[in-house]
Amino acid sequence: MSLLARIFRRKRMYSELNEEIQAHLQEKIDELVTRGIAPDEAARTARLEFGNPNIIEEDSREVWHWPALESVWADLRYALRGMRKNPGFTLVVILTLALGIGANVAIFTVVNTVLLQPLPYKDADKLVTVWGVNKPLGFDLDFVSYPDYLDFKAQNRVFAGMGASTDEMYTLTGAGEPAALIAYEFSPDYFDVLGVPPLLGRTFAPDEDQAGKNHVAVLNYRLWKSRFGADPAILGKSIPLDGSPYTVIGVMPKSFAYPPDVEIWTPLTPDPQFAHRRDNRWLRVIARLKPGVTMEQAHAEMQTIAARLSSQYPETNKDQETRLISLRQMTTGDVRPALTVLLCAVGFVLLIACANIANLMLSRAVARQREIAIRATLGATRRRMIRQFLTESIAFSLVGGALGLLIAYWGAAALVAMFPPTIENLSIPRIESLPIDAWVIGFGVLASLVTGVLFGLAPAIQAGRMRIGESLKESGRTAAGGAAQGRRFRNALVVLEVALSLILLAAAGLMIQSFLHLVRADPGFRTDHILTMRVLLPDQKYKTDAQELAFGQAAVTRIQSLPGVESAGTVTFLPLSGWWGTREVTIAGRPADPAAKNPRPVWDSVTPGYFVAMRIPLIEGRYFTEQDNSSNENVVILSASLARQVFPNDDPIGKLVNIQGVDKPRRVVGVVGDVYQLGISVRQTGVTEDVKSEVYMPYAQFPTHLLCFVIRTAGDPVSLAKAAQQEIWAVDEGQAISFVEPLSQLASETVALQRASMVLLAVFAGLALLLASIGIYGVISYSTSRRTNEIGIRIALGASRSNILRLVIGEGFFLTICGLAIGVAGSLTLTRFLSSLLYEVRSNDPLTFFAVSVVLFCVGMAACFIPARRAMLVDPIVALRYE
Amino acid sequence: MTELQKRDLFPGALEMMILKSLQRQPEHGYALVQHIKRTSNDLLRIEEGSLYPALQRLLKAGLVRARWGVSATNRRVRIYELTPAGKKHLEVEVSRFEQMLEGITRVLAPGES
Repeated sequence: MSLLARIFRRKRMYSELNEEIQAHLQEKIDELVTRGIAPDEAARTARLEFGNPNIIEEDSREVWHWPALESVWADLRYALRGMRKNPGFTLVVILTLALGIGANVAIFTVVNTVLLQPLPYKDADKLVTVWGVNKPLGFDLDFVSYPDYLDFKAQNRVFAGMGASTDEMYTLTGAGEPAALIAYEFSPDYFDVLGVPPLLGRTFAPDEDQAGKNHVAVLNYRLWKSRFGADPAILGKSIPLDGSPYTVIGVMPKSFAYPPDVEIWTPLTPDPQFAHRRDNRWLRVIARLKPGVTMEQAHAEMQTIAARLSSQYPETNKDQETRLISLRQMTTGDVRPALTVLLCAVGFVLLIACANIANLMLSRAVARQREIAIRATLGATRRRMIRQFLTESIAFSLVGGALGLLIAYWGAAALVAMFPPTIENLSIPRIESLPIDAWVIGFGVLASLVTGVLFGLAPAIQAGRMRIGESLKESGRTAAGGAAQGRRFRNALVVLEVALSLILLAAAGLMIQSFLHLVRADPGFRTDHILTMRVLLPDQKYKTDAQELAFGQAAVTRIQSLPGVESAGTVTFLPLSGWWGTREVTIAGRPADPAAKNPRPVWDSVTPGYFVAMRIPLIEGRYFTEQDNSSNENVVILSASLARQVFPNDDPIGKLVNIQGVDKPRRVVGVVGDVYQLGISVRQTGVTEDVKSEVYMPYAQFPTHLLCFVIRTAGDPVSLAKAAQQEIWAVDEGQAISFVEPLSQLASETVALQRASMVLLAVFAGLALLLASIGIYGVISYSTSRRTNEIGIRIALGASRSNILRLVIGEGFFLTICGLAIGVAGSLTLTRFLSSLLYEVRSNDPLTFFAVSVVLFCVGMAACFIPARRAMLVDPIVALRYE
Repeated sequence: MTELQKRDLFPGALEMMILKSLQRQPEHGYALVQHIKRTSNDLLRIEEGSLYPALQRLLKAGLVRARWGVSATNRRVRIYELTPAGKKHLEVEVSRFEQMLEGITRVLAPGES
């Protein structure tokens, strides 16, 4: 019979079967009657001979069942009934599961969005970023010069396309407030390399990087929406950037944000004066691998080209190599280790929860022995019983998992805070939301199933193993064999819990220490009570140095006179902003040695009040003063590290130095403390040394377009924000001001990832501790209650209360110590994976290990306390009577 | 409790005998039981309880088909008859059984080593 026919005719079949069997019986009875037996006697005999018609009917029906499915459904209903009957138990189990699974799913949403989802470019896995390796200067990741880029592009056979870009800033005027736009200049084919078509219009044509044709722009979706009201007729309109008209030729789709925070793209137009120089490295290069080409092959090819250039142009390219990094690694590299650690941690928490629930279910199984025994005698096979128990546990875990998904939904919203929006130069993706998509739900379901099997297996196997005869005895005690094995297993579970908790606590402790070190580390300047603002003077309006100077000085003077301002200054590249520039510094008067490894510090142009406002200490000489202007000698201040680099054996004060790009030599008048331009926590890809060597010039002698105001306030810096901006607008009312925020906020954002990791890890460790203590409590409590008889006997035989106490605590002590030992061993091997995340903390820091061990030990002992007290209070007479 | 049931016959024997009986002529359940009892000279007694599950299995496998009819005693009964597939299956089973029987007979033959 076909499957379909079977389904439809089942009901009819069953009734036919019934009829048939009744008929058979009837026929049997009739025959007996004809043989002369009395009807009711005949009926009884017939029935006896035939067998129980109900059972026969059921057996016959079963032939047509889908046995597996039907009984699973029955198991499920049974499980649900059991859950309803024990609401307390059910609640505890489901809550524990919801927390455990929910936390896992929440972390997975981050992993999913950041690491697993494809990047929004065509075949994003084929995109690689191309960097130089400047061996002579020790730069691990260097930008590429324009001629080198052209040669790379022309000579390679491994890339289907290559593009170059650099960052830029424009002031957008016109309708609305002037705004400073973060921009990127793209070579004409860059968009093609990425492979994302524009939402509106087009991207750059191949000739649009030439002068006269290059005043075109492509807008970011967000800019188009916020600034131009998503005007569909935007194409062809002209917008003023830095005072020049640019024609809008396209708008990118919403999902396209490359690089993050970039609002507008213009064509890359190399400055003819500098671009031909091979040692002027300023480009970021991206390339798309040809189909079938691997990274290793591409890297080998690029190295060959670099070697060729090295021999062709030894003055500039000697010993220059290349390095390829996949785009995904570039955008997520810094987040990956943290996420891995968190995923493991949350996995541990789930394991601990499973162990607890397994223990709970084991106790419950013991209480259900009678039920199990009866089912066994009624013919349930071992496999059937195991399946029934597993169905129960999976039912629990699916319900818990569903609740967990809800928890994960809220958790994911909170986790978005891990990705602060304004961090530059970190390989952390911009995350606006962590969606719960099909992958995440799938993960949740999988986690629930695995969890259910994990904690369900133990009681299931235990149930299968129980000896039936013993359990049907009146006494509630089980036979020694079964119980002992169960006990050992439960103890092993608890030891595992303690060990895992210790590992988590150790990791959390290390992270907390690391974070504290990070936050307390001195970046070279103070971050409290400082308001910062950034101003970009447009080229068109500020054509001369004198104009820039006038603006800067007027603005600073006005701001300084505000009440509540203690000191104010400007700097070109605000520390912690992620912006920076470098220039080579050499001793003046020495012959230029192209092979020499000259220091290449960060450079800044500052007003005299800057050092005071930032509290950067003066080590030698003097700060800049008002006298350091264009009519007096050109001066410069070095940071301590730079001074050591340039003048290892001499006193730098009074000496002359040359700064790259600055025509006249300058005299050193002071040495100040080092400043970590990018903060302590950010390991910037681009230089291998800490970015703390710095050279300062006075703003009055070297004005710049970019000015970052640094204002030290007596009170809360934010309270002066409005007033300070007004003062700037008083000097130039059309000037755009951006990033008005306290320096402390910037500092906080630079450690946002570390903070989030620490907090999460601490939360997980706390959860683990709680669960482990509950586990210890459960096991000790249970074991004590089973030993009530024994305790009663001991007391009757003269054991003191303290002896009993020692007995119970002793068991707990043993379990805890075992767990601690295994946990410490585990931690020592595992925490080394944390070392990339730790700042100035050894991954096997003995103080941390000792502290968390003590904490866990105390908690473990405390968990034994209540059962121990209960044991001490056992009344021997009652205990002995209990049978 | 089908697993604990004692079967003196090897599995499949009952089905084989049912098929054979039906080959002779289509019958309903009760008549089948009587037929097998008679033909085996009472040497084989099938538990009537196992008959119906066996018949259902044969139905499911498509080796027999059933229709409602009237018995000799004017009672409405379900009559089973062999299908072509059932016929073929019976031939295969019988020949296998005879092979097995021959093998056992040889082994049990007295004196031979």
